[in-house]
Order: sequence, then C-alpha cells, then structure tokens
Amino acid sequence: MSVQRGGLGRVTHIIGEGLEGRIANRHLALFGLGFVGLFFVLPILLLIPESLSLGSTTPFESYRRVMNGIYVDAFVRSFLYGFVTTGVTLALAYMLSYFLAFSTERVRTAMILIIVPLWIAYIVRYFGILLFLSPAGPLADLTGFETDLLFTTPAVVIGLANVYLPFAVLPIYNSLNAIDEELVNASRVLGAGKWRTITKVIFPLSLPGLVAAGLIVFILAAGSFLGPAVLGGPKQTMIANVIAQAFLDNFNIQFASALAIVYTVLLVGLLLVFNTLFDLQEVLGNI
Amino acid sequence: MSTRTTAQLEGVTFRALITLVFAFLLLPVLIVILTSFTPQNFPAIPQEGLSLKWYQELLADQRLLSALTVSLIVSTVSAILSAIIGTIAAIGFVRGEFPYKEQISTVMLLPMIISPVITGIALVRYFSTIQLPSGFPALILGHTVLSLPYVFLLVRSELLTYDRDLERASRVLGADPVTTFRHVTGPIISPAILAGAFIAFVVSFGEFTATQFLISPGTSTVPVVIYTMLRTGLTPTINALSVVLIVVMLVLALASRKLSSA
Repeated sequence: MSVQRGGLGRVTHIIGEGLEGRIANRHLALFGLGFVGLFFVLPILLLIPESLSLGSTTPFESYRRVMNGIYVDAFVRSFLYGFVTTGVTLALAYMLSYFLAFSTERVRTAMILIIVPLWIAYIVRYFGILLFLSPAGPLADLTGFETDLLFTTPAVVIGLANVYLPFAVLPIYNSLNAIDEELVNASRVLGAGKWRTITKVIFPLSLPGLVAAGLIVFILAAGSFLGPAVLGGPKQTMIANVIAQAFLDNFNIQFASALAIVYTVLLVGLLLVFNTLFDLQEVLGNI
Repeated sequence: MSTRTTAQLEGVTFRALITLVFAFLLLPVLIVILTSFTPQNFPAIPQEGLSLKWYQELLADQRLLSALTVSLIVSTVSAILSAIIGTIAAIGFVRGEFPYKEQISTVMLLPMIISPVITGIALVRYFSTIQLPSGFPALILGHTVLSLPYVFLLVRSELLTYDRDLERASRVLGADPVTTFRHVTGPIISPAILAGAFIAFVVSFGEFTATQFLISPGTSTVPVVIYTMLRTGLTPTINALSVVLIVVMLVLALASRKLSSA
C-alpha cells in the first residue's frame, strides 16, 4: 500500500488484518449481550436462590413473611398508586399532545419545554414539588396559602405524575401526529362537530399511543422509590421503599430478594393479562 | 350563546388549561433555581435582592465538593464505557443476521425497564460475590449497565439510516474492517456515539435509586447527598447543589441533542 501509515494506523491495520473474516457482526451483538447478561441479567436471576435461602432450615421463610399485612399493603399501594398516577398522567399528557399536534405552530419550542424536565435528576424535581407543598415552603411564605398535602397520598401521586408526564407525551403525540389530516377534515366536512370529531375519529386513532404511554407510566410509577420517599409519609410506603428498607436498614437480603421477586412476578402477570386485552408487541411497536 | 362564542370560549379554556399543565411541569424545577438565590436561611423566593451566599457555602463544604468530584468521575468513566459497549452492541444488532434478532435486542433494554431498586440490590449482592469493591468500581460498573440502553438506542437508530455502500466501497478498495471503521464508519456515526456518551453521562449523573446501594462511605454522589440533606431539613445549600446538578445535566443533554439531530 502506498499510503504512509503512522503508528496508530499500523497497529489498527495489523489488528484489522488479523480480525479479517474472524469476527462477524453477530459476535459484536454477542459481546453486548454478554455484558448485560453478566452484569445485569445474572445478578437479577441470582436473587431467586438468594430469596429461597435453600441452605437454611426454613427455606420459604421470606415468602411467608411477604404475606404479612404490612407488606401486602405495600404491594396493593404500589399498584393502586400506579393506576391512579397513570390516569392523571394520561389525562394531562393527552391535553399536551393534542395541543402539540393540532393547535400550535411552535411545536419545537413546546416539545423542548416538555422534554427538558426529563434531563433533570428525579431527586431535584421531587425536591421542587416538596418546596411547593411544604407548609413552611416558599409558596406558603410568598402567598400565605398553606396546603396540608405534604406527606399524604395526593402529594405522592402529584409527584409521580409530574415526574413521568414527559414519558407519556412522546408516544401519544406520535400517534396523534400520525393521524391523516384528511380523515379529520372529512369528519368535519361531513358535519361532525369538533367534539364528535375528537371522540369518534381522533381518540380511537390515538389509542395505541395512549395504551403505550399508560404502560410506561404504570411500570415506572408502581416501581418508584423516590416519589414516596420524598413526598410521602409512613402510610405511603410503596414496594420499592420496603425493599430498600429490608436491605439497607435490616440487612435482610433474603427478604429483600423475596419482595423483589414477588413484585416482578406480579408485574409480569399483570402485563400478561394486559397482553390478552391489547397486543403488547403491537403496542410497543407504536412507541 | 352563538356557536362562535362557544368555540372561542372553548379555545380560551383549552389554552388556559395547557398553560396550567406547562406550569405544573416546569414550576418545580424553576422554584428550586429561584430559591437558591435567597439571602435567607431557608429556601424562600428572594424578594429583597439576590444572594450567592449559598453557592459560596457550597464551595466551602468539603463533603459537597467531594460528592461533586465523585459524581463527575463516575459519570465520565461510565459514559465512556457505555458509549464503547453500546456502540459495539448496536453495530452487532443492526448488521448481524441471526434468528429472533428483534426479540433478543430487548435484553439490551432490560436495565431501563427493571425497577432501579431491584437493580440496586441485585448488583450490590453480585458485586460482593465476585468481590468487586464497593465505591468507585461498583458505581462505575453499575452506572455503565444502567446507561447502556440509552446509548444502544441512539446509535442503533443512527446506524439504521446510514448508507452501507460507503463501507462496502472501503472494503472493496482493500481496507480491513478496523481501518474501515476508523476512517469511514466511525467518522460518520461518531456524532451519534458522542451524543450517546453525553446522554449516558446525564443518566448516570442524576441516578439515585440504584446508586444508594452501591456507594461506600467516601464515595457519595451528588443525588445521594441531596437526598440525605433533604431528610435532615431544608437549607438553601440543597438548592445551590441542585442548581449545579441541573446546569451540568442540561448543558450535556442539549449538546447531545445538537449532535444527534445533526
């Protein structure tokens, strides 16, 4: 070869020649999978034997404890708060998405404003909501108006909805944006009013995006640690908090693992039920 | 009421509602920033002049500066690692041909889906089994795994739109695969790789939930320190530290956005 090669060029050339024909693209994929497998999937799977503590005399002890009232409460709360948050978030996200898709010219600016919070740490955003709701906080200080919301269930739901709202806007906006404008025009021309067009044409067509958004928000909200930890009180403890507590305060890895596994199984079960109602593959393909 | 005024009323109501939703979304962050400039001893909205005293406080606090250093080191190193591994995996999944490729690629996204508390306890337990020290090694490896899906998605979408004929031309002209990557593929997808690295940094810099399990006494990160301070009472130092976090994250995220849309 006539091109003069520098040191690095020579090295990469030698490596390249050596690799020629030996490394296929699927080996690269395998490398990525191997990394995730070794440092993510395997550690998660190892929680199963951990939770069973098979060596001990009472192998299922941890699972028996999970059935205790306070832990069942935490599970119920997680799924309940997850549902309520999803409802609130979807309503707000639908309004924002409708605004973006149909009633503004400045889509880019509005979109940036919606996405910017996604780039800011959760802890900072929950801190902001804490300041808002705090009885001695800046808002109360400025306006004299005090709320008793802090450390209650509404505070946690407000926090979760705030934090996960941007995640819900993206899929809904995409499905609204994909609606053929001719269909909307046709509906109007044929005499349907604005509301009728929304309920009979726009809404059904945006359903895949709405379902996808709901799924994302529900999974994130039900598994949240920081929301209840910062904005809730002892009565708002969700499953993530119970798991963290078992591990950090009581050093009980068996029990923490059992809680994590029961939660994951329940969540997957719920998703399977969901899958029979909506085709999951299709929903996720729409994001 | 005529239809026209009804429609106008609807329009006005809708605009007002949208403004409220935007306020709901953005005000919490704005209030954190605003109250960081208070001269008072608690996070109040400054009414009589702004003060930088809580930022000076920040610079004088060894614990906070150390957290900032730890966060910067962990996020930088894990972003680089995750950019490299994520790019390799993305190339493999876009170019490689093997059965069930789409389904298998979901595995790469798992760290994004599993609740970070579960990830945290699983990793800390595993790292102690393989005797990886807590602190920097655990934090860096953990953050690399957690930010990997973001790089993977970004680089993959870039590769899907890339013209492979350029690469074929390079190979036909006699370049080996590594040289081709260095001179053809690399330069074309490098903005996407850099964008991925920046997003990985942002994800790592703000991560709290899994991180709380991985830290050692000397290696608290900024979000962990903010959380700890929040539990002990509100002081505007938390605001100042939050603003530093916001600025770092926004600058990198915006840079990432510029690079990936270019």
